Amino acid sequence: MSTHSQSAKRFVADAERLAWHDRALYAVREKRDRMMATVPEWESLRRLSSELKLHTLSHLGDYLCEFERNATANGMTVHWASDAAELNETVWGLIRAHGGRRLVKSKSMLSEECGLTPYLEARGVEAVESDLGERIMQLLHLPPSHIVLPAIAVRREEVGALFERELGTEAGNSDPTYLTHAARRALRPKFLDADISMTGVNFAVASTGALAVCTNEGNADLGTSFADLHIAILGIEKVIPDMKALGVFTRLLARSGTGQAVTTYTSLYRRPAPGREIHVILVDNGRSEWLADARHRNMLKCLRCGACMNTCPVYRRSGGYSYSYFIPGPLGINLGMLRSAERHHGNVSACSLCYSCSGVCPAKIDLGEQIYEWRQQLDELGLADRTKKLMVKGMDFVMGGPPRFYGAIALGRVAGKLPRWMLENGLNPWSAPGRAMPPFAPRSFNAGWKKEERK
Amino acid sequence: MNSKEEILKRLAADGMPESPYPEMDFVPQRFEAREAVFAERLEAAGGRAVRMQPGETLDGVIRRCYPEARRIASTLPGVTLATVDPDAVEDPRELVDVDLGVVRGSFGVAENGAVWIAQDIRHKALYFGATALMIVIPQDALVDTMHEAVVRPEVDDFGYGCFMSGPSKTADIEQALVFGAHGPMSVTVVLRGEN
Ligand code: SF4
Repeated sequence: MSTHSQSAKRFVADAERLAWHDRALYAVREKRDRMMATVPEWESLRRLSSELKLHTLSHLGDYLCEFERNATANGMTVHWASDAAELNETVWGLIRAHGGRRLVKSKSMLSEECGLTPYLEARGVEAVESDLGERIMQLLHLPPSHIVLPAIAVRREEVGALFERELGTEAGNSDPTYLTHAARRALRPKFLDADISMTGVNFAVASTGALAVCTNEGNADLGTSFADLHIAILGIEKVIPDMKALGVFTRLLARSGTGQAVTTYTSLYRRPAPGREIHVILVDNGRSEWLADARHRNMLKCLRCGACMNTCPVYRRSGGYSYSYFIPGPLGINLGMLRSAERHHGNVSACSLCYSCSGVCPAKIDLGEQIYEWRQQLDELGLADRTKKLMVKGMDFVMGGPPRFYGAIALGRVAGKLPRWMLENGLNPWSAPGRAMPPFAPRSFNAGWKKEERK
Repeated sequence: MNSKEEILKRLAADGMPESPYPEMDFVPQRFEAREAVFAERLEAAGGRAVRMQPGETLDGVIRRCYPEARRIASTLPGVTLATVDPDAVEDPRELVDVDLGVVRGSFGVAENGAVWIAQDIRHKALYFGATALMIVIPQDALVDTMHEAVVRPEVDDFGYGCFMSGPSKTADIEQALVFGAHGPMSVTVVLRGEN
């Protein structure tokens, strides 16, 4: 059994939660489809977005420098970080130079990737997540289980109980409106009293040196409205050439991810307000090496919309925590392999190769095809599953010629009459734990075809 | 070598073949009833669009749309109902939880109900801290899609700006849509004609 299906056991055991999770995410996928239908040029847009990303990646160094030049001219300060440790140290350095311990954060997968919050907490900095879903997860001491819907696996009763404990809401009240507004009130002082605000970045526009930050809650913008230091962190693949490109991506991002025409707020930070500072940290942390991998560099086209998770039948039914990498779903399977094939190859089996992810990705990333490719690479990486290799050898033999193949089918039909315990055990390579043997058809397709022909 | 140089060196050696800047090979959608589409999409995002009636004043629209509002912050000429001059306030925290902010927007985008606001007030806190927000744009200032929006002159020079589509919202608790996550609970876009 793969490490993924092992880890999915707990999630799968809660049938009601699983069914809800599956349905809720599929509903988001359907919203995406309805949005797509309102844009006749949808497929052309996806192609354009993909080509824009490829173009940018093929000139990434130039665009990063152009961004740095223009952002600096706008009055921002740009820093470069080679890896997670350098990002964390740079942030810590900025906080120390500025003073203050209260930091209000908007959602950033990069900060999860780099372990920034625990790093800061260990140094006495309180980093408060301000996105509602992220805040729920922070109070639960759990990581997000989806990149844009962090609390998608948490039920309303659980949020009610959590808020009762943490925010003093009424016992037994799990009404989403009531709970959301309780969180709004509780977070107000965190925004108003913050010494420092931190945001992620969706797009950094090279030609204007502006940062685009997309949220629905307005938490990023409220955060940057009071503190006089704004630290913006982004992976180097987030730079885009110009405003024209921003027009293309903003048409796709929310439609693909949450099924909205656009996020409520698409904010552009260009110049710091008088007396304020904006520090931008460009983070590599492996990306420049991934770009050198011709088979998998496409992953860097990702807009982080979340569509591939919503549509994935395996993700929807196994939940975010069944993957060993902090990003789940088709995106996470691929990024995990780039990060460390050794640690994360268990995830590549969490894919039915339906390629639905590739079909919805607004950057036209061939996610499913790349997972297939990784499976082929497992052998050369020395990570292939020995049982599966044996199975494949057996298949090679059986598929070696028609007589062997039909012989095996005849045997299979006999096997279908054997008791299940004889088949579903470790000795039968055709069966596997967590998988039931399908019944064999009473006769082969070919035999049926021939019989029909003779009629 | 510093980190910037290292990163650039690695990127230079990534062996990625050159990809040209792509041409837009399609004509983006157009809306014949642009204002109606704008209003409908803004409503889908939880906001509403109202047209200023002939002879109506901004005060009149405010009373029509937000009869309950008491603390009103605005710098717009013609808003005599304003009780707070947001630009006279030193500390942006004072603008948080005013009942209504009345602010200027540049233009609207039909395809998604968004309005471009280029900050022209002292504290952007008003846009996000007000309980309700009224954004005034010229009636004919509407474009079809984001392609046109991002190349408009108003989006060329600004310090801070925002495409805002309806009120602040979240669905983080069981996908149930709730307005007023952190920002305004209500947003009204006023299409202002030549009065
Ligand atoms: S891989 Fe594609 S579908 Fe998945 S999050 Fe990234 S852009 Fe969205």
